[in-house]
Amino acid sequence: MRRSDGRTSLPRAQRGGRSVSYAVAVVLSVSPTVRLSAQDTARVAEAASVLAPLIESYGVSGMEAPVRETVKRLLPAWAKTETDSAGNLWLRVGQGEPLVVFVAHMDEIGFTVDSILDDGSLHLRTRGGFFSSLFEGQPALVHTGGARGDVPGIFLPREAPRDSAPPRRTPPPLRVSVGTTTRAATQALGVAVGSTITMPKRFVRLAGTRATGRAMDDRVGDAAQILALRHLDPTKLKHQVIFVWSTREEIGLEGAAAVAAALGTAPKRVHAIDTFVSADSPLELQNFAVAPIGQGAVARALDNSAVTPPAYVDSLRAVARARGVALQFGTTNGGNDGSTFTPYGVVDVALGWPLRYSHAPAEVVDLKDVAGLADLIQAIAEIW
Amino acid sequence: MKREASDRRTVGRSVGYAIAGLLSVSPTVRLSGQDNVSQLALRLSAMTAVSGYEQAVADSLVALFPGQAAKDRVGNVVLTLGRGTPKRLVACPLDEPGYVVGNVTDEGYLTLRRVGRVMAPLFDQQNLEGHRVTLFGLKGPVPGVAAVRSTHLTRGRPAGPEAPFTVDNAYVDVGAASRADVEALGLPVLTPIATLKQPHRYGGGDGGALLAAPVAGRRAACAALVAAVQAKPRVSGTVVVAFTVQSLQTSNAGLESVKRLAGPFADVNLVAVPSQFEGTPVETVALADARAALQRIVEWIGGGR
Repeated sequence: MRRSDGRTSLPRAQRGGRSVSYAVAVVLSVSPTVRLSAQDTARVAEAASVLAPLIESYGVSGMEAPVRETVKRLLPAWAKTETDSAGNLWLRVGQGEPLVVFVAHMDEIGFTVDSILDDGSLHLRTRGGFFSSLFEGQPALVHTGGARGDVPGIFLPREAPRDSAPPRRTPPPLRVSVGTTTRAATQALGVAVGSTITMPKRFVRLAGTRATGRAMDDRVGDAAQILALRHLDPTKLKHQVIFVWSTREEIGLEGAAAVAAALGTAPKRVHAIDTFVSADSPLELQNFAVAPIGQGAVARALDNSAVTPPAYVDSLRAVARARGVALQFGTTNGGNDGSTFTPYGVVDVALGWPLRYSHAPAEVVDLKDVAGLADLIQAIAEIW
Repeated sequence: MKREASDRRTVGRSVGYAIAGLLSVSPTVRLSGQDNVSQLALRLSAMTAVSGYEQAVADSLVALFPGQAAKDRVGNVVLTLGRGTPKRLVACPLDEPGYVVGNVTDEGYLTLRRVGRVMAPLFDQQNLEGHRVTLFGLKGPVPGVAAVRSTHLTRGRPAGPEAPFTVDNAYVDVGAASRADVEALGLPVLTPIATLKQPHRYGGGDGGALLAAPVAGRRAACAALVAAVQAKPRVSGTVVVAFTVQSLQTSNAGLESVKRLAGPFADVNLVAVPSQFEGTPVETVALADARAALQRIVEWIGGGR
């Protein structure tokens, strides 16, 4: 980690600059120890109200339209968005240089239908990396994208082994049954090769300020950008900021790559807003990625795709300090959308929030971190 | 019609689909006397009755038969139809495999102890990993998550063990940060825990001919028995109806107690509905089979074989 004296001069600190009041007040679940101020309670409630509909939208890589529509619905009325040919959602705010880009991805892990077998079951192709054992023997939803909507089914559990070999955690390639016995019957439901498949999911509050759901990665990033936009005044930005909600991150940063190519060398910085996969769990090694949940956003300074130059880490620290935003620093695994910009000379200053149990059906976050990340995005847009 | 074992025939399938709305995780979901067998099966499948900790579901069933049913000293729900001879017993098991809190860590995680006979070894505990659970604590149901390693943090490291996940590796995260947090949530040692119940209908021309849920076969059998009693069938002799507890304990204490406390019986009918994928979270029954079971029970109560 770098020293904390900072190297980049910043506009005067605008501590406490949140000018917009929070309209949503939702009673928090019972918390034995967490005592929040009324303002923090409202901010956590607002974070939950934005995150919940995003979590409960489905968008396997390449089929993000439902998520994109949810993002558009949650944005402030003044936001005029555009969708590019790669499916990315763009929002341009402010004028002038330097151009700064924020990008959070809309897609989630899952499956696509690779083929429909003679017995009506579906052979699958995975989209993104995850443990297939977490899907075996679970309810399934086939997203046809058509008039028939979502078709329920199940991820077929494997049959009991016929030999004495010890069972393995990892199942054979998964199949889905929609309750049919012929290919024609399955097709009659609107299921086709290319249809995407997930399992049902819900956003659920845990104790205190914590919450669980599937696809927190990266709906929290999507939510944080929306929350920031709800609270900043677009007429007061001193330079242009582009917010992007990107597609197909989980299968190779494809949507962001299209954005990076379109913008070329114009941006000065890109801020990927994505998960900081945390080792804050009794099951994880503590060698790195130790960013406890509930202790603030995280500077994702080093991952498998990009490094944030140390001077920029210092500047980020100064921005956070100027606004009184809690910020952790660390390194974790995974790639981020911002890395597709770096070949164009654009500096990637990736940000995240700590997440437990990545790519599992029940990921866990702390909503204080979501609100804090939104504050940091707002601060960067306004004063860096 | 003694049915100590169910006929494990394949669940019938046809075409058409619908998804059931997600039901409450609470074991105290109210049952309506007007529900048909399909709705009862769905509602019972949303309830949790960890073997030995069936009290809430038992209370719901008692409330369904006011003035008629009561819990015996073991916890079975028992009611009697008709009078005279022969005296016969029709029963279904209420309980399911599950867990109780075994310990609480200083960091606020709960560790578990498994409860009840294993129904499907491969899936028995692996289905816990990375999924939602519900804890039935002193202050009501509390949602939680069974921890799993983050996919990302396994990359570039040696592959983990291929042995199935077991309860000994389970840490339940309820959002607490300390042992005191867990105490304040009302989750002491012995709190029952089960994986999230989300009954899932799929298949079938009427938009949901199949029901997938943990222990769906048992729940469909009990639904058929409830519906049969609600139908007020003609009764031949005395018929004792029992929804039994602790069937997955070695002693099968619930059923054996009924036999001793309310017997002897000239015949015992253990209701069963065939299921597929038994012991998995998507154990599947054809609701047509539940309706057929209802008809068979009604006939049996009337003296039919």
